[in-house]
Amino acid sequence: MGTARKKKADTAMARSHVYGLLATIFRAEPTAALLKELKDPRFSGVFSDLGLDLGDEFHQKPEAELVEELAVEYTRLFIGPGPHVSPHESVHKEVDGGGRGSLWGEDTVRVKKFIETAGLEYEPDYTGIPDHVSVELEFLQKLADRESTAWSEGDTEGALYCRKIEKMFLEDHLSKWVPRFCDKVMAQAELPFFGKMAKLTKGFILNPAFR
Amino acid sequence: MYSLNRRNFMKLAALSGAVVAAGAVDSRPALAGTIKLEKGGRDFSPATDKERKAIPSACWQCVTRDSIIGYVEDGRLVKIEGHPKSIRTLGKLCAKGQAGMDQAYFPDRILYPLQRVGKRGEHKWKRISWDAALDLLASKLKPLRDAGTPELFMYQYGRHKASQEATMKDFMGAYGSGTIGNHTSICESAKWTAMEMTWGGGYDNWDFDRTDFVINFGSNVFECHTNHLPTSQRLIRAMVDRGVPLYTFDVRLSNTAAKSTEWIPIKVNTDGAVQLAMTNHIMNNNLYHKDFIKFMKVSAKYDQTDAEKIAEIKKRVAKYTPEWAEGVSDVPASKIKQIATDFAKAKSGVVITYRGNLMHFDGAENERASMLLMAVTNNLNKPGGRCKAAGGSWKAPSTPKAKVHKKLDILDGFPGKPSDTSYAYPTHHASHQVIPMIIDGSWGRPKVYWWSAYIPTYSNGNNNEARKLFLDEKLMPFLVCTTIGYEESSQYADLILPDVSYLERWDWEDMPSANQIGEWYFRQPLVKPLGEARCQGDVFPELAKRLGFELTWSSKEDYVKQSCNMTPGVKEAGGFEYMKKHGVWVPPGAKPFFGNHDQEVDVSGADLDEKTGVYSKGGKYVGQKIGDKAYAGFGGGMIRSGMCEFYQEAMVEKGLPAFPGYTPTPEHVAMEADDLILTTFKIACHTHSRTAVSKLLSEMYHDNPGWMNPKTAAERGIKNGDAIKVKSEIGEITTHVKVTEGIIPGVIAISHHVGREHSGRWGSGMKSPVPGVHDDDPDLKLKWWDKNGVHPNVLIPNKGDRVSGTMRWMDTVVKVTKA
Repeated sequence: MGTARKKKADTAMARSHVYGLLATIFRAEPTAALLKELKDPRFSGVFSDLGLDLGDEFHQKPEAELVEELAVEYTRLFIGPGPHVSPHESVHKEVDGGGRGSLWGEDTVRVKKFIETAGLEYEPDYTGIPDHVSVELEFLQKLADRESTAWSEGDTEGALYCRKIEKMFLEDHLSKWVPRFCDKVMAQAELPFFGKMAKLTKGFILNPAFR
Repeated sequence: MYSLNRRNFMKLAALSGAVVAAGAVDSRPALAGTIKLEKGGRDFSPATDKERKAIPSACWQCVTRDSIIGYVEDGRLVKIEGHPKSIRTLGKLCAKGQAGMDQAYFPDRILYPLQRVGKRGEHKWKRISWDAALDLLASKLKPLRDAGTPELFMYQYGRHKASQEATMKDFMGAYGSGTIGNHTSICESAKWTAMEMTWGGGYDNWDFDRTDFVINFGSNVFECHTNHLPTSQRLIRAMVDRGVPLYTFDVRLSNTAAKSTEWIPIKVNTDGAVQLAMTNHIMNNNLYHKDFIKFMKVSAKYDQTDAEKIAEIKKRVAKYTPEWAEGVSDVPASKIKQIATDFAKAKSGVVITYRGNLMHFDGAENERASMLLMAVTNNLNKPGGRCKAAGGSWKAPSTPKAKVHKKLDILDGFPGKPSDTSYAYPTHHASHQVIPMIIDGSWGRPKVYWWSAYIPTYSNGNNNEARKLFLDEKLMPFLVCTTIGYEESSQYADLILPDVSYLERWDWEDMPSANQIGEWYFRQPLVKPLGEARCQGDVFPELAKRLGFELTWSSKEDYVKQSCNMTPGVKEAGGFEYMKKHGVWVPPGAKPFFGNHDQEVDVSGADLDEKTGVYSKGGKYVGQKIGDKAYAGFGGGMIRSGMCEFYQEAMVEKGLPAFPGYTPTPEHVAMEADDLILTTFKIACHTHSRTAVSKLLSEMYHDNPGWMNPKTAAERGIKNGDAIKVKSEIGEITTHVKVTEGIIPGVIAISHHVGREHSGRWGSGMKSPVPGVHDDDPDLKLKWWDKNGVHPNVLIPNKGDRVSGTMRWMDTVVKVTKA
């Protein structure tokens, strides 16, 4: 594999990893295992470089306590009960002709069809709604991963096709709502964790260098 | 010159027809099949032209529970219409039903089990798994059952009916608790009790398809009756097609009153007085119909002749003259006489009644008075009259009851002589007294209180008292609720279980028909449950296993499937699979049934009770002796004979009037000069408490100003739109006023439904006290209204009709001042 090709494969894989991390973070309440990884000095260093300060408490608080606090914060932000920041595209996305501001809206169907057209299907035990932010991020994770494989296998056409789909999905879906969703999370998070992760997500999605 | 006119066209047509019929034209058709003209039942996507999947099911927005067709495209419910093959609804569906999608898709919906982690009311929650939720619940319930105190687990429900109620009761029976509270006393229990006291009970249908005359006391049938669309469309049809008159007596110009032949304004809770005066007029002018007299029991004697009964009725209503009633009700005596005369002379007629007649001091007495009026005009169980309704009757699987089965005596109001809080015959419980009785504590308190489709701190009176109780962890140690959204009660729960909407679950349904032909109908999921929402009928079997017992059904679908496959008629039609395909079933060739009380019966070998004239075999009722004949008569409920009882011995035993009468409302008699009566009402596009989450319905109705007559307003220096304070003996609200001739003087009318503290961004208008977090979805920019109403229930004490216990929503005395 040539250097250029390897670089492309590595870049795609890097995007895939970041999408994967973000998908994990928004999918559910952070587990102790995830938090342990994120507290690792290597991660701390990267976060520091990125200007994302998760706060002293994140590093110093007993793990069980942190897990509990972030579970409550996750519920408050993304689940409710009552007012919360819905993590679903169809609630946020501005579309003409109505059909906005509801769960399982027209855009939910579009997202689901898009993902299924790409050959994926939703796991039977996935209990969320198809246009959950974490699902959209996971889709991009898988696309970027597939792109990386294509580059590695010398399948330029396949790699470029993956890239095209990724861009299309970003432009039609994530970029249309996730930045504003992230703004709301940043504004309303009580603990640094989800606010910083939202900042990271927004920056990553909006930066053309990663597209 | 070419000229095609009707004459030559018809000639041409006749010749052409003959040619085709003779087979002279050798032309093979290109089209096969027959044209089908269907009103509804199919729908197409305007974007793709693809036919949408049409699934028959049933509504559940209100108790009417109309049959529906849900249209699904790409797994998403996009539209709901009436089921065109339902004989109940004739394919119609109201605004609430058409807005049903909001119940599944509103953005504030609760999708996961939630455990409280802060203080009650602090709105601090953690998502937990269903396993964790059921383990937690079982850890509270099992010790109570194991200790032989299952009654300390209380379940209270609002809109449960049919299999939703049956599955819950099956579970509770197997668990061993009879501490099951309902909500009927805040809805209509005076009607049920009065029915049980007269013709033995049963839901009363108004046969508008055949009636010739309608008198309405306090029913808003065109907006919100319990059998709304099946009845309202038939009444409109009767009025438009056959010129049937509708006279509406109401304190308020409801939309029903507005569409009536005439609105007759009437003072609060004097409906019974007018009905008695009509009976007086009919009896004294020999306008009564003798045919039904023999089936009436009007004194302590069971064997009176018709002449004796007529004399007895005349004597008992003698003091209730139209002139007397005018003084009581403000309805002119001439009007009472005119309507009574026309009613009695009509071939058939029906007196319809609801909350305006019922939700008062002596609500059951008002209802008995309406039954009397229909009895003397022979309009009971007769085409065009008031009839015992026909509905589908289902068989269902049943789990054996627990060996230890107990209940707390907190369901029927306080013990004692009949009063505002103690009731003579609360045959459908006194749900609004559950909270006061738990606070009192003398009759025990539940340790686990679980509620569903019910908002006890919103739907009852005196909400502030209820909220204090729900905050008290000593008096209410564990609170669990099943709900689709966060509202005034779930905010205090310790555990929230996410319910499915009615669009995601299985049920058989049984609401009566409006045409006296029973319809068996059915609910099936139109879409999969969102998130981890779970039907209670699926939760109970899982919970039972954790508690150490098994139910005879494994899921709600299984329960409904077993029911379909064991119910006679439905079973033979194809059972569960038939119902999934069609949604409704009516026995082939079924004819309207109007009861059989006047059928003679064979009583050979039966024992005769000389005191009551009842024939029975082995203790089972066979018939009623009337003169020298035996008739099928009536049965059930509280009646002790086979007659329609207007002299009610059970009333005498409680020191209450045996015969329907009129007693002035004590609080109204004692009113001060500047007092007003607060009356409440319902409107067409909301249920009492469960539709505020709907964007569509909240846009239609979100504010509830107090209606006030110009005279009443002027006396207080109040102008239309002014802010006002309304103060009762238990609370105060600030709202604004709508000055209108559509309400009588001396009254302020405030609707239910709105003034939500929670219930999503649309219900609460974003004023929810939950701190901080919201997503400000783009549709909120289109919210053009800034008023979200004021809840009047904080003003209304939990007082009930002394006979039935029905909540007195219409009697509260208040003072109103400019704010």
